[in-house]
Amino acid sequence: MLSKLRDPSEKTLALLLLAPAFLLLLMIVVYPIGKLVYNSVYAVDKNGVFLGLQNYIDVVQDPLFWNATKNTLLITLVTVPGALIVGLGLALLANLPFKRKWPVRLSLLLPWALPLSFAGLIFAWFFHTEYGVVNDVLRRLGLQSEPTSWLLKPNWAMAAICLTVIWKTSSFMALILLAGLQMIPKSLYEAAEVDGASRWQQFWQITIPMLMPSIIVALIFRTITALQTFDIPYTMTRGGPGEATETLAMLIHKYTIDYSDISFGSTLAVFMFVISLFVTGFYLKQIGKNAQ
Amino acid sequence: MNPTGIWSSPALRWIAAGMVVFNGFFPAVWILFTSLKTEAELVQKPITWWPSNPMLDNYVKAFTDQPLLTYLKNSLVVACGATALSLVVAAFAAYAIARLNLKRRQLILTCIVASSMFPLVTLLVPIFETMRALGWLNTYIALILPYVVLNMPVCTLVLVSFFQSIPRDLENAAMIDGCTRMGALWRVVVPLAAPGVFTAGILAFVNSWDEFLLALSLNSSPAVRTLPVGIALYQGEFTFPWPIISAALIVAIVPVAILIALFQERVVGGLTQGGLKG
Amino acid sequence: MKKRDTLKWATLALASSLAVSAAWAQQTTLRVFVGPNQRPDLQAKLFEQYNKANPGVKVEIETGGATSELQRQYLSTVLNAKDSAIDLFLIDIVNPAQYASKGWIEPLDKYVGGAAVLKNDYLPVYQNANVIGGKLYAMPSQGDAMFMYYRKDLLTKHGVSEPKTWEELSAAAKKITAAEGNANLQGLSIQGAPIEGAVCTFLLPYWGQGKQFNDAGGKLTLDKAAAVKGLQSWLTMVDQGVIKKNVAEVTTPITVNEFKAGQAVFAINWGFAFDRFKDDADSTVKGKVGVMPLPAMTGGKSATCMGGWQWAMNAYGKNKDAAGKLIQFLSSKQASAFIAREGSILPVFQSVYSDAEVNKVVPWFKDALPVVLGAQSRPMVEDYGQVSDIIRTTTSAILARTKTPEAGVDEIAARVGRLMR
Repeated sequence: MLSKLRDPSEKTLALLLLAPAFLLLLMIVVYPIGKLVYNSVYAVDKNGVFLGLQNYIDVVQDPLFWNATKNTLLITLVTVPGALIVGLGLALLANLPFKRKWPVRLSLLLPWALPLSFAGLIFAWFFHTEYGVVNDVLRRLGLQSEPTSWLLKPNWAMAAICLTVIWKTSSFMALILLAGLQMIPKSLYEAAEVDGASRWQQFWQITIPMLMPSIIVALIFRTITALQTFDIPYTMTRGGPGEATETLAMLIHKYTIDYSDISFGSTLAVFMFVISLFVTGFYLKQIGKNAQ
Repeated sequence: MNPTGIWSSPALRWIAAGMVVFNGFFPAVWILFTSLKTEAELVQKPITWWPSNPMLDNYVKAFTDQPLLTYLKNSLVVACGATALSLVVAAFAAYAIARLNLKRRQLILTCIVASSMFPLVTLLVPIFETMRALGWLNTYIALILPYVVLNMPVCTLVLVSFFQSIPRDLENAAMIDGCTRMGALWRVVVPLAAPGVFTAGILAFVNSWDEFLLALSLNSSPAVRTLPVGIALYQGEFTFPWPIISAALIVAIVPVAILIALFQERVVGGLTQGGLKG
Repeated sequence: MKKRDTLKWATLALASSLAVSAAWAQQTTLRVFVGPNQRPDLQAKLFEQYNKANPGVKVEIETGGATSELQRQYLSTVLNAKDSAIDLFLIDIVNPAQYASKGWIEPLDKYVGGAAVLKNDYLPVYQNANVIGGKLYAMPSQGDAMFMYYRKDLLTKHGVSEPKTWEELSAAAKKITAAEGNANLQGLSIQGAPIEGAVCTFLLPYWGQGKQFNDAGGKLTLDKAAAVKGLQSWLTMVDQGVIKKNVAEVTTPITVNEFKAGQAVFAINWGFAFDRFKDDADSTVKGKVGVMPLPAMTGGKSATCMGGWQWAMNAYGKNKDAAGKLIQFLSSKQASAFIAREGSILPVFQSVYSDAEVNKVVPWFKDALPVVLGAQSRPMVEDYGQVSDIIRTTTSAILARTKTPEAGVDEIAARVGRLMR
């Protein structure tokens, strides 16, 4: 009896270990998600009328929804690989044998220390037509005579936003990849050297494959957060000019908070969930495979 | 340490390092400079980089306009608490997923990760209602628990991937030597996965430090307000005092930067090199 | 012996607990939600006065929601959860209709009197802004309007008189900027960023033609041609170099800072700006600032946007009677005069503008009165959040030249028309 408690069977142990996580999930997330789905089919006002799938139909027919989804997917397609490449570069650099390692590593993580709500504001100021650093540098270098209004042109605004997002999130990627790099045994590289493999070959045949689990983890979360991009475009352009940089998360925020149309906002959230699940489903399968 | 070949020449390495340092430090340095300027100087054309009359007035104002130190303390308490709890909960769950033979392992993992696929803004009202019902509004726990849930997917997944990469033999050896499974978890697995643990820790800490929406809604009383919410209050309907806000931002960034500088060695340090040879 | 003692103690205990609970029952605590920029310090002084006069009531301030946006963020969560913690809040003048339609604020008719109360010396605009469906939902506290600020010294120097129409203003601006030869001096600074102020940027030249945006029933009565003409007039000013090209990036603080730094001849901004120009340590325009009503479109009349803050009662609150009495006090003439004197806040009562005590502190309020009397409220409709968003985003896009005025106005008419039927 006592021995069972001290060394419980695997099943009991599994339950015990997973219990705290699931209890918290139940309390904090399951109830709100349930309410959210409920709100998408029942009107959230004094009447509480059953709407059925009306909200869902309205969403699909709303051109703003498609515009926001397009913008969100664009940001995702650009910033996820972007952050991965920059993050990998940063991680590899941080791993090098510098005499003083802390400046490189600190600068790796400093973008992350800046509160997200202000990162957008600061970069908006950098890209400001008259008071921004970007135009100032271009002017000093003689590359342009007239200041460019970066955030007032749809394509440039989108580019500026993607740049800011990559800047901010490459730290996150670098951190995960750096930790992963640490787990690769030196012996593998030593053996490869002996076998005459070039540095480049070592990179592609040892580093990348060994790093794959970390890469996948980093990609999953970068993708989920990319689909939920809100703070940076919200503070940089408010979705402007017009709705050129409005993301799905901004649309949800608008409906839920500004218009107080919780019903419609909840429906949009369900759509976002489905899109997220679809996009990351592939990655999650990979993790499952690795677990075997 | 990691011969990737691309960075073989020292000159190239220094240039690349310079770029990295610039990338990380430039905005922070810019904020620092802005915090020493006056608002009028910000609209001068052409713009100035170094403040013409550096002054500390903005820092004074930042601390007197609002109880910035209180906010700092609150943020530290909440972030540290959330980080510690996140690590424990995530470590338990990750061990179960990575090591134990669970039939529905994939489903469990998907559920945990799926919880982060809903934008927080839509979950706000129910979470508020829950906290109110429990009488926990305007307390530290009101934020710590949701932050643990917000951090859970990332921390769990990071720890799962690290636990998976540690060969089972080591634990089995420990258990043959008389350890229980839990003992093996805390004495063998966690230390070996140290980079992962510290990574998950830093991830959890910074996420909790940054969080805005929940902090705004659940802990609105100034006594328990956190930094991001506090800093957002320097602005007015028609004013945006960049210099003061910059000063407050520096106050917000410095502790995190110190933390990172202290722990980056642990994250990257070669604690694992011993166990994985051969 | 013992029994009598016990009885004595019991009676004493009972009596004292009754007294305590009676006192406790009489002590009501009202919690009031004020943004840090709505002068909570002044409100606190008013509350002190109220506390003294009403010993059974204690008023506590909760500050949060620095901007209309953050406030809406917080209140949206709290009120959707039907929270009773706050009794009163200070809301933006554009919010009563929206909050009322959600059932968040309580009609004040039985606490303060019906809509007729607003006819009593209050500024006329409130009869429109605070009365929804015939019921009174908010009481005015702090007034505000958009004024045309200008550099008195420059106009005198170049022999230009106060412009009465937009054409005159353009001409004056061009003359002065050409003569001054300062590359950094702009003619007119307005807000074109997609902020709430951009709704005013859309409405000002439209109202200036004597047009109305909606009828009394809340139905959209947009005159598309007039709207296009109004927006086009801004664009023409940009083309003529009177307004700067990146006007779609200009927010309220930027206009203030630029005017303060002497970089604009004319500027449109809210009432608070006057004190900033006059008192700020880094202001280069002290003593050089004039205030006048906004110009009219040719053949139209001067119009301006009404702003300011109002007191509303939480519909889920538990202390409505006490809150009602507090609102009466806070929206009284004395309260208005007090915050006008102490904080230079534009009064909500007409007579207070020419009050001797007030004028000693803020002489320019005498000039402000005609402007404020002509101020109009933005559309008071339950979907104001959405209407505002459509107007300000489209206006900003037009000013950024990513949409033509015709296309933008069509869009506004279609989308807002669906909401305001």
